Amino acid sequence: MTETAIQGIITGVLMGMIYALIALGISIIFGVMNVVNFAHGDFVMFSMYLSYVLGTALVWDAVQTPLLTFPILLIFGLIVYYLIIDRTLRQLYVVQLAATVGLQIMMRAAALVIWRGQPRALQYSFIQGNFEIFGFQVLTSRFVAAVISLIFIAAVAYFMNKTWAGAAMRAASDDLDAATLMGVNYHRTYALTFALGSALTAIAGGLLMSFQQTDPVGGIRFGFLSWCVLALAGLGSIPGLIAAGAIVGVAESLQVTFFNPQGRLLAVYAIFILVLWLKPRGLFGRK
Amino acid sequence: MQVKGLHSGYGKVPILHDVSFHIDERETVAVIGPNGAGKSTLLKTIAGLVKLTSGELYFDGHNITGTSPDQLVRLGIALVPEGGRPFANMSVIDNLRMGAYSKREVLKTGVLDELFEIFPRLKERAKQMARTLSGGERQMLAIARGLVSRPKMIMLDEPSLGLAPNLVDEIYEKICALRNELGLTVLLIEQNTNYALELASRCYVLENGRIVMEGSSAEMSGSEHIKKHYLGL
Repeated sequence: MTETAIQGIITGVLMGMIYALIALGISIIFGVMNVVNFAHGDFVMFSMYLSYVLGTALVWDAVQTPLLTFPILLIFGLIVYYLIIDRTLRQLYVVQLAATVGLQIMMRAAALVIWRGQPRALQYSFIQGNFEIFGFQVLTSRFVAAVISLIFIAAVAYFMNKTWAGAAMRAASDDLDAATLMGVNYHRTYALTFALGSALTAIAGGLLMSFQQTDPVGGIRFGFLSWCVLALAGLGSIPGLIAAGAIVGVAESLQVTFFNPQGRLLAVYAIFILVLWLKPRGLFGRK
Repeated sequence: MQVKGLHSGYGKVPILHDVSFHIDERETVAVIGPNGAGKSTLLKTIAGLVKLTSGELYFDGHNITGTSPDQLVRLGIALVPEGGRPFANMSVIDNLRMGAYSKREVLKTGVLDELFEIFPRLKERAKQMARTLSGGERQMLAIARGLVSRPKMIMLDEPSLGLAPNLVDEIYEKICALRNELGLTVLLIEQNTNYALELASRCYVLENGRIVMEGSSAEMSGSEHIKKHYLGL
């Protein structure tokens, strides 16, 4: 019993790091631009398909594919920003909502048209098997994915805190008018924020494809999961985001281990609702 | 600095009507007027935050009509907005660095050390988040942030707003010392007419989006209109 639980917790924490990475994208977009991108989960789905296509065509391992999907998603994010998001900034909130929900539906439909309904997976990964820590089994692919996720989360934190572009993003997040006075061109800062947030899904997509398959409707799950993580974490705390990712991952994993795997999101939503009810600003956030 | 026939407003709501005035180099000019007269809009229009509908702006011999905020910083104009508005979730030092965002080379000139000498309290709190500062410290931070880019002209929007009287004295002493030390041109907007008249050599009165009076501070202090409506005498 306890051993199964610990096993579940290990799996959950590792998975949670990928959730934290996905949520980081949604967090910087929401935090800096005050834009809710409802299509974020579908960006993950799209990235997973891209990883599938490139991995199959080039005979690459899933973990390598972000080398190409990262720049592709950066450009995709820029296009979506200038084509859609930039035009909704000064509009009613409902316009923004319709735009990103519409994008979500469009992406899902496009995936259905291109790849049909059946799930796709990459055939082979050179990251195989598992290893043992204190008698507990750890899947190597999950472990590698968690480590890479943490590295990229740290890289984004460094970017936000140590570069001029990152400072502009933080300043725009705090006070757009004051940032404009300093000479920050917010269209450009927002475009970079959106592109970066989108490109993080490319990393996550590649990592996910190293141990699971993708299907056209899978995006909605990642979208909801990342919202749960963000709601738990609150805005502006990277350690909080990692902790929240772990909590969500563990909740999901324990639900699968002990209850019904079909309802794997049930425990996650229960926590989500509880946190929104008791601490609407998140467990670790500032705003 | 010269403003000619400026009209400006938000969307379809006109705020400023045919506003013209000038500030000489190293002069301190105050614009006073009641709440809602368009004082803040005037500064925001000069700083490029609000688009003007017609009129022309000149600074240092350049036509700066419609220039973007980053170019204005490079030309040497800085605005300290109403309430200071430092970046609350950034540290004091990061706030100051943001002041150099459009003119990064100034950071190599030791400007931060100079400002820390003038504002020792900001140095003590360099690593603290701006949101943890007191009201007076925030205003100091905002002024310092405006000065990082080594502007020729600084525009101050109600630096006394919301501060206790002893803090207002302190802020104005600092502004006065800075102006004299750095040879700044100052455009001051203030509801607190006493302070404005004391700091400025000349003064314009803005009412309902129009300039209704102008003159030296001494003339203004003697004017019946000013005495009655602004100084409460």
